Amino acid sequence: MDSLETFVVESAIESEQEFYRKIIEDNLASLKLAPAIGRIKVVLRPEDSLFQMAIILRDVGTRVTTIDIADVEAKPVAGEVMISIKKEQYIPELLGKLWERYGKANISQPDRWTVAITTDKPAEEAAFLKEMMVADPRHRLHENLVEFAIRATPEGFRVRYHLYKGNRFVFVASEEALKHEWIEEAGAMLEELMEGGKK
Amino acid sequence: MVVLLPYLYTGGVHKHGLLIELMEDLGGYIIQKVVTGTEVNLIMLIPEKDLDVVKKLAGELLGVLMEAPLTGVEIAVVSPTLASHHLPHSACDVAEYLRHPGANTNMIGLARGMGRRVSLSMDYERKLINEHDIAVFSFGSFSDCITKKKPKLFEGIEIPIVVTGGPAELKTEDVPGADLYVGNIGRVSHRLRRTEEIEALDKLNEGVSRIASDIRKKQAKDPLAVLPARVMKEIENQVPEIRRVLSPAPLTLQLDGLRVKLPYDEFHEKIEKLEFDEGVVLSELANITRSKMKNYILIKIKSKSDVGFAI
Repeated sequence: MDSLETFVVESAIESEQEFYRKIIEDNLASLKLAPAIGRIKVVLRPEDSLFQMAIILRDVGTRVTTIDIADVEAKPVAGEVMISIKKEQYIPELLGKLWERYGKANISQPDRWTVAITTDKPAEEAAFLKEMMVADPRHRLHENLVEFAIRATPEGFRVRYHLYKGNRFVFVASEEALKHEWIEEAGAMLEELMEGGKK
Repeated sequence: MVVLLPYLYTGGVHKHGLLIELMEDLGGYIIQKVVTGTEVNLIMLIPEKDLDVVKKLAGELLGVLMEAPLTGVEIAVVSPTLASHHLPHSACDVAEYLRHPGANTNMIGLARGMGRRVSLSMDYERKLINEHDIAVFSFGSFSDCITKKKPKLFEGIEIPIVVTGGPAELKTEDVPGADLYVGNIGRVSHRLRRTEEIEALDKLNEGVSRIASDIRKKQAKDPLAVLPARVMKEIENQVPEIRRVLSPAPLTLQLDGLRVKLPYDEFHEKIEKLEFDEGVVLSELANITRSKMKNYILIKIKSKSDVGFAI
């Protein structure tokens, strides 16, 4: 699936459709979500105060473990574990996890590519650290998707329903109490997208 | 009576004091001076017959002098709420663009202005908006909302109302209660920079200037007892504390008065007793009240017919 291979915005009035397409594009860009979204369909019905959105996500990156971003080496004589970083972008998450586990006092950073941990059991800790999960793009994606949905929806539509399962995301928002058929309609939109969607 | 013309001077800081001195000699007024780095912006009222003299000096100083039709107009830019849906784009872009021709703008975010059925404004907010000369409401992209639901926010607003929204095909008559509707400035999540957006902002500035000049024309039939700019100058001379105020416009001119950004309780007596050369004090010529904005002082000048004379 290519990114944004289907991008449909439907509304009774064509010009309003364009405005919303632009708003959605801008918000996707500012949250850097465009590469993660395969197909998206949005239906607007201002006369019912209704906003429906269905999204099919593309495969996003898998979990990142320490070994993916750094070399981990045990130094039994010195009582240390040395981490040599290869990908700098995950350092904040990595350090956060390390501080939590070992305490700030036991961690030093001689330079920007190296993290040294003082510990009694270097070999076991090194083995554990190699497999430790540093970041989960899916978790971040979920946060961003919810943020995106809230930003794209008209502000007054405060009654919201959302479903996030596997690579499917459904969002319905309104000013009034949500009706079952609205959620069902959004589900049908999702089915339509699953079948390839229409351009 | 001297006819004063509003102009904006933009040029270097070097020797701009000459221009200020010239304005004093000619009997014009400096409304606002903004220094940014090595640049200075002077908004001023120039006596019509001396315009050539000022133009000549501005030319010598290598500055630019241009007309600023919204000088001395305080505009409220009202957005349904302060959420990211409406701000900073497009409401802030609208406010910024209105400042180009010299207006002072205040952004007002309503507490509960969002939505269709649920939107409403509070008494306090309406009074605050009514303190201004013109209100610009920045609405969204649905024509259904703009024509049917949002106009209830206009209830109780007594000043001219300008509405901006997305749909370009709507007309002013379609929006009940509005004095002007400008399309193509709806809800956007990017800075207004495309051709049609900038054109719409230009159209908005033109429309607002027209409304301001209509108000001025109406005012000319029964003029104010004293010019707001003159009150401004007297406050600068007689209330030295105004120089220590850090707001960008400590004295904000309006078409029929001015806002003094000093605390009401401490200074209202001083303002009421402001003396003019003709021997009258300001409280005879104007209503001085507590502003809804931050406890400031609001001066609304009475008309000549109310007071019986004008100075």
